[in-house]
Amino acid sequence: MNYMPGTASLIQDIDKKHLVLLRDGRTLIGYLRSIDQFANLVLHQTVERIHVGKKYGDIPRGIFVVRGENVVLLGEIDLEKESDTPLQQVSIEEILEEQRVKQQAKQESEKLKVQALKERGLSVPRADTLDEY
Amino acid sequence: MQAVHTREPPQQPGGLNSSIWDSSAVLRRIRGPLLAQEMPSVSVLDYALPQRPPQARDEERDPSERALPRRSSSPIIGSPPVRAVPIGTPPKQAAIPNFNQQILCPKPVHIRATMQQRYPAPYGERMSPNQLCNVPNSSLLGHPFPHSVSPVLTHLQRAQLLGGAQAGRMSPSQFARVSGLVGSPLPSVNPKLLQGRVGQMMSPAGGFRAFFGAPPAPPPSQLPHPPGPGSHLQNLRPQPQMFRPDTTHLHPQHRRLLHQRQQQNRNQHRSLNGSGGDRGGHRSSHQEQIRKDPYANLMLQREKDWVSKIQMMQLQSTDPYLDDYYYQNYFQKLEKLAAAEEVHGDGPKKERTKLITPQVAKLEHTYKPVQFEGSLGKLTVSSVNNPRKMIDAVVTSRSEDDETKEKQVRDKRRQTLVTIEKTYSLLLDVEDYERRYLLSLEGERPALMGERKQKICDIYDNLRGKAPGQDRLSDDHFMQIMCIRKGKRLVARILPFLAPEQAADVLMATARNLPFLIKKDAQDEVLPCLLRPFSHVLYHLPLGTVTSLVQQLTNLPQSAAAPTNLHLTAVLQNKFGLSLLYLVLSRGEELQSSDTNTELMQDNQWTELMLMATRELLRIPQGALAKPVSIPSNLISLFSRYVDQQKLNLLETKLHLVQGIR
Repeated sequence: MNYMPGTASLIQDIDKKHLVLLRDGRTLIGYLRSIDQFANLVLHQTVERIHVGKKYGDIPRGIFVVRGENVVLLGEIDLEKESDTPLQQVSIEEILEEQRVKQQAKQESEKLKVQALKERGLSVPRADTLDEY
Repeated sequence: MQAVHTREPPQQPGGLNSSIWDSSAVLRRIRGPLLAQEMPSVSVLDYALPQRPPQARDEERDPSERALPRRSSSPIIGSPPVRAVPIGTPPKQAAIPNFNQQILCPKPVHIRATMQQRYPAPYGERMSPNQLCNVPNSSLLGHPFPHSVSPVLTHLQRAQLLGGAQAGRMSPSQFARVSGLVGSPLPSVNPKLLQGRVGQMMSPAGGFRAFFGAPPAPPPSQLPHPPGPGSHLQNLRPQPQMFRPDTTHLHPQHRRLLHQRQQQNRNQHRSLNGSGGDRGGHRSSHQEQIRKDPYANLMLQREKDWVSKIQMMQLQSTDPYLDDYYYQNYFQKLEKLAAAEEVHGDGPKKERTKLITPQVAKLEHTYKPVQFEGSLGKLTVSSVNNPRKMIDAVVTSRSEDDETKEKQVRDKRRQTLVTIEKTYSLLLDVEDYERRYLLSLEGERPALMGERKQKICDIYDNLRGKAPGQDRLSDDHFMQIMCIRKGKRLVARILPFLAPEQAADVLMATARNLPFLIKKDAQDEVLPCLLRPFSHVLYHLPLGTVTSLVQQLTNLPQSAAAPTNLHLTAVLQNKFGLSLLYLVLSRGEELQSSDTNTELMQDNQWTELMLMATRELLRIPQGALAKPVSIPSNLISLFSRYVDQQKLNLLETKLHLVQGIR
C-alpha cells in the first residue's frame, strides 16, 4: 500500500537485498530488515565487499545496524542479475592484499607529487585550513 | 518503575478495588502451568507467566513486578499518571509479535492473567464493562454473531492486547491489530480517565458502550469513539461518527488507509476465527514466503505504519506554499497538464495518485514555564520554547581608524551583499502579490495594493541608495550593486515593477557608467540578461530621454581635446554595449519616423547626435566591433538619413546591417 506516491520511502524495500555505500567508503550488501525515520538500517546476513580493480572479495559480517547519517546511498540488488557481472570474485586474503598494495602505491604517488610541488615553491593547502571567503 | 502504594483502609464490600495500591509487587518464580484450572490447553503464555498465589483472592493483585497496578474503574480513585510517550518512540512490541513467526524461546510476558479467569455473573458485582467484554460467551454480548464467530480471544490475541496495554503506553496502531474483537480490549479503562490523559490513546469507549446499550445518545462529555469499531458494530447501534482525537495529526490519506487496514484485519481475523485454529488457505502463500525467507517480516506492518506516519507528519505544514514551494508548483503544473489532457483527449482518465501535503492550522502556543505550588521562586528551566540566556555576547563595533583599506573594501562589499539580499526578499514578496491578491477577500485588496506599492518604493530606494532627502548625486551605490553578479540579475528582475521614470533613471545610470560595468563584468558576462527588461523599458520612453541615453552611451559630444572616444569604443567592443546601443538607436528611429510633430529642439538634438555617432562608427575599425545579440531592422533607415550612399554602404558592411552578408 503506497502511502506516498512520488516520494522515496524505504518501506517498500524491506526484506530485499540491498547494496549500501557508507560514508567511510565501505560497501555493504545485505538484506534490509528494518528502518526508522532517520533511515537507520538493519542489515541482515551482511557482507562487506571490497573492490580492487576488476576483482572483489566478500567478508561476511553478520548483522549490521547502520546509523542513517552515514549512508551515502543504497540500492536494491536484482537477484537474477546479481551474478551477471564482469568482476571476478577472489578470496578474502587475496583482496586484502590487493587493497594494501593499491593503498601503498597511492601514498607513494601522493608523496612524490607533494615533493615536486614543494620543489617548485607551491603547496597544496590542506582542506581543513582553506578559508571560506 | 514501581508505583508507590499506600495501604488503604478496609475495603468496601463489593466495591472499589482500592487495594490495588497495596504493595503487592513481588516477582514470584514461575511454577508450572498457571491457567491449568481454567484453560486446559497449554500455550506459550503458560511458561512465561509469573506465578499467581494459589489462594483465592477477592482483591486482584498483580504479581508481576513490572506491570502497573491495575487501574480502577471508578473515577474517584485516580490512576497513576500515564507517561506521555514522545512520538519518536517505536511502538511497544507485543509479546507474541506474529502468528507466522516461530517462537524460539518463551519471552517473559507480563500479562494480567487474572482477567481470563473471571466468570462472574452478569451484573453481579460492580464491574468494569471491559471485563464483561472479555468474558467469552457472556450473555451481555447481545449481538447476533454466530457462535463460531464469537469474539473469543485466543490466548495469543489476548496476550498481545494486554501485553501492550500493560506498560500504559499505547500507540494508536496497536488497535489496528485488534483481532475479531467486538468490544474494547482494555481492561478497566475508564473513558473519563482517558479523556484527561494522553491524546495519543485511542478511545475504546465506543466499544463497551455498545454493550451497555443503556444510554441511547452518548453523553456529549464522553470521549468520542473511533469510527472503526463503531462501523463494525453497526448492527448494534448507530454510533455518531466523531473525530478520533489521536489521529487528527495523521495525514488524511494515511488515516483512511489505516481504517481500511483495520477493517481488513477485522474481516480477516473474523474469518480466521470462523475456521477455528486452522489458518485458512490464503495463508499457504504466506507459508511459502516464510519457507524461503524465514527472517521476513521482522518489521511488522505496525512498525512500517509507524514510520510512514512519521514521514507523513513531516509533510504537514502551516504554509505549504512557503515551506514546499517547488513541490507545490510542480503539483499545480501536473494538474494543469492533466486538465488540459482531459479536455483534449477522450481516452480514459489516468488515475494518478498524487501526494498531497496538507495544510495544518497554525496553533498558537503560549508557553508557561512549569511552576510548583508552595515552592519559593521559580524553576530555572531552559528548553526549546523557553531558552535561557547563557552567554552575554556584546557587539563591539570597530573604529574606522583601525581598519585597513582592504577591510574597508571588504566591509563595503559585504554591506552591498546584505542590501542585495534584503532587496531580493522584497522583490519576492512583490512578485507573490498577484497570487495573494487572488486568494484574498475584496476588502483586503486595497491594503495589499498599498503594501505592494510601498515595497516597490523600498526596493527602488535600496537600489539607488537611500537618503531620500538629498538629491541622487552619485551612482555609487547602484554601481556597487551592479558589480555583483546577483545584483545585475536582481536589477533585471526589478525593472518590470518600477515606474517609467525610475526605470529610465536606472537605465541612464547604467549607460553612464557602462565602460566601468563592462570591465567588471568581464568574468561573469551577465550583463546581457539586462537587455530584455531594458528593451521593455525603452518602449515607453519619449524621444528626449532616448536622446540623452544615446548621449550617455556614446559619450558625445566630447570635448575637443579627447583624441579617441574611449567610452564609445568600450561600448562598441562589448556585446551588451553594442546591443544596447542598437536598441536605443532603433527606438529613436521608431520615434522619429512615427511621430511627425516632435519638437524641433529635440529633433535637432537627435540629428546632431546621430551625425556625430555615425561619424564615430565609421571611424572604428571593423575588427574591434563586438557581435551584438540582435540587430534591429530599422537601423538602415536610421543611418540613411544622416549619411550619403557611399558611407551608408560602408556602415552596412561594417555593422553587418544587411542580411545575408554575414
